[in-house]
Amino acid sequence: MSVQNQQPKILILGTLSGGYAGADSTGQSHLDYPANTYILPVMSPVMFPPEFYLRAFERGIDGIIVMYSGTDSPYKVEAEGTAKLINRAYQMMKERGIDIRRLRLAAICTVCVKPFLKEVNQMNDLLKGIGFVKDELAGRASAMAGKETAHG
Amino acid sequence: MPENQEPRIGVYVCHCGGNISGAVQCELIAKALKQLPNVTITRTDESLCSDAGQSMIEADIKELGVNRVVIGACAPMLHEQTFRGAVTRAGLNPYLYQHIGLREQDSWVHGHDKQAATDKALRLMSAGVAKARLLQPLEPIRLGAEKHALVIGGGVAGLRSALDIARQGLRVSLVERSPFLGGRMAQLESVFPTEEEARKLLHALIEKVAAHPDITIFTQAEVTGVAGYVGNFNVHVQQHTRGVTNENAEALMAACSQEVPDEFNYGLTQRKVIYKPYAGCYPSTPAVDWENYNGEPISLNGKQVVLKDEPKAFELNVGAVVVATGFDPYTPPQGEYGFGELPQVVTLPHLIRHLALTKNGQPLQWNGRAIRDVALIHCVGSRQVEGIHQPQADGQVNNYCSRVCCTATLHMTAELHKRYPQLNIFDLHQDIRTYGRGHEEYYRRTLEDGVRFLRYNGEELPKVSAAPKGDIHPVLVKVKDRLTYGEEIEIPVDLVVLAVGFMPRDIHGLEKMLKVSRGADRFLLEVHPKLRPVETAVNGIVLAGTAQGPMNIQESLSAASAAAAKVASLLGRGHVELPPFVASVDEHKCNGTGACVEVCLYEGAIALQTFEENGEQIKRAVITPANCVGCGACVSACPNQAIDVQGWTLAQYEAMVEAIGADMSALAEVAS
Repeated sequence: MSVQNQQPKILILGTLSGGYAGADSTGQSHLDYPANTYILPVMSPVMFPPEFYLRAFERGIDGIIVMYSGTDSPYKVEAEGTAKLINRAYQMMKERGIDIRRLRLAAICTVCVKPFLKEVNQMNDLLKGIGFVKDELAGRASAMAGKETAHG
Repeated sequence: MPENQEPRIGVYVCHCGGNISGAVQCELIAKALKQLPNVTITRTDESLCSDAGQSMIEADIKELGVNRVVIGACAPMLHEQTFRGAVTRAGLNPYLYQHIGLREQDSWVHGHDKQAATDKALRLMSAGVAKARLLQPLEPIRLGAEKHALVIGGGVAGLRSALDIARQGLRVSLVERSPFLGGRMAQLESVFPTEEEARKLLHALIEKVAAHPDITIFTQAEVTGVAGYVGNFNVHVQQHTRGVTNENAEALMAACSQEVPDEFNYGLTQRKVIYKPYAGCYPSTPAVDWENYNGEPISLNGKQVVLKDEPKAFELNVGAVVVATGFDPYTPPQGEYGFGELPQVVTLPHLIRHLALTKNGQPLQWNGRAIRDVALIHCVGSRQVEGIHQPQADGQVNNYCSRVCCTATLHMTAELHKRYPQLNIFDLHQDIRTYGRGHEEYYRRTLEDGVRFLRYNGEELPKVSAAPKGDIHPVLVKVKDRLTYGEEIEIPVDLVVLAVGFMPRDIHGLEKMLKVSRGADRFLLEVHPKLRPVETAVNGIVLAGTAQGPMNIQESLSAASAAAAKVASLLGRGHVELPPFVASVDEHKCNGTGACVEVCLYEGAIALQTFEENGEQIKRAVITPANCVGCGACVSACPNQAIDVQGWTLAQYEAMVEAIGADMSALAEVAS
């Protein structure tokens, strides 16, 4: 058995009342999409602090799609609260030199097969173009080291 | 307890009769995962959900000391409960089990590439093992429950729910805002597709509700406050006095001279402020319309009687609440298709009441003018398009389909033709959505009756204007007809009927008290349209009927019975058990910042409390599990990482993400 470590990895955080069920609906339709996608069920993404996303990138996740239920969420705070947290994550990503397109928030319903496929394919195409996050992080680290040397 | 010992994880990969093993190399996955720390046993099986498959898992728990279980199989929604049952039967806490969906999210979507499907399965299962290491035993939240339900709304859905709940042996309090039961259905004459008399059907139901010893009806009553949680809601109700007694009601009604537009007939007639909406209504005693009564004395038998409202407030302790508050028909704004400007433009509810007031054999007239040509326009207030339609008060357009109006319009068309066969009827529609059993029959019948159907485009609406002077018709309708390839057709008519859709009722206060959410369409929102179609995110609050969205009577009744079944299953045992997936505070980390309290929108779910420790006063967050919905807003808000959602902790997610991102080469090599 061999594993494909050469593919960028896409983490999908799918709500039970949205994206996770949407992924199941896509499966029931037997519609192909890239296999480098790993879907974790969540009650609501409003639980994830911005640092969670940064740590995920540091652990080798190259792209993250948060598939929530948007304004149709059964949880009152989800739509606005998640958007605020993701915006904060974007700020932190910029500070660390991570392309913010690697993190995306999308409203996906339980039967949103086409939007699900569109989101996954778009992220996959993006990652093919911009490559692995570890390269961005390494580039940033070496730039920082260079700066320190120059100052030293 | 085995669950408190070092994790001994059993990993099971299901072939699902070839559905998974057709794409995923299950044996290799099992072999690879055996290398992971804490994994005691890995197995594959043709069908884990079979009795034999479940018995195998149970045996491993009992004989090998497995104390955490990870299963890779079909979607969790199908068999999560099955495997929780197996784990429980073997004596293990049911929440020490993690389910990974390998069929819908892997083998069925990556079948063309077995290597990729197997690689994905390995990472997902590895993530499951990582989470399993951190699983903790959890107990369902068990709360005592009042065997008493509140139904808000005395329309057909509320009545059906109340009766179904009472028949399950629970007490029911039914609170209706108006003085009479029946809601919108009472305003109909006949119902499709059976053509039965609407009020006859309704009254058969009302009689059963009124006669049931466990149902208490409160009319002219409103909910003014709600506190508590599932099983134990404390509800404040205010009820207005009826204002008249059985003895003096009829005489007072006869003597009363103050009149107001009659909402039962959508303002087509006037009624007195002491009134009954129709003969045979329930309750049969007239009531005073306190909103409109001007306080003037009424002269009765030489005495001047001043009516006085003395509302009484009382409390109800109930275990669950059914929200059956109904809908309002859409009211077009001034000028939409000439509504409010041309007197010959009316809505479908107007016409229904107008026909009811027109005796059989009488000619069809409007404002004293004979009707010979009539146009009915579909989708008024529904399927609206931004930029084309005038937005509602909140800035949104109604982009939803109201579903019921197509058949309701054709039902009316058939009725018009039956009573007035000489009428020329024009039906202007975008689409004909007669989706229910027997509904298409109306379309077929009206086609045969000679009704002329014209199809307009939703972005090029028909135009309604006053007819040119001298025309024998008062109104001119222009429509670009897609059925004749865009030909512009002018139809002079005597009456235009707008088939108005459903509007969510303004129940803002109640919505706030109950803490329920609205969807993008502004109707009340269920947790999940398919899996939990009548439950709200607030435990113990369920939805019945058109408060949730457009439904016909049949669908409202089905939803009402579903809501009743949910209430009965919740309260029937005298206690409720809720999933343990609620917030939990680590008292060692919490230093009482209050950030969690600030972000929580669920009243009573989390609060800061003061404790005394070592002679010091300290503040700490405390969760009331029954009020917590487990959304986790408090988790991300806490600066000390002192809160987690049980069963879905941040640490568990971090571990899963680490496993997915890890280099799997070594594991895979062992499996080769």
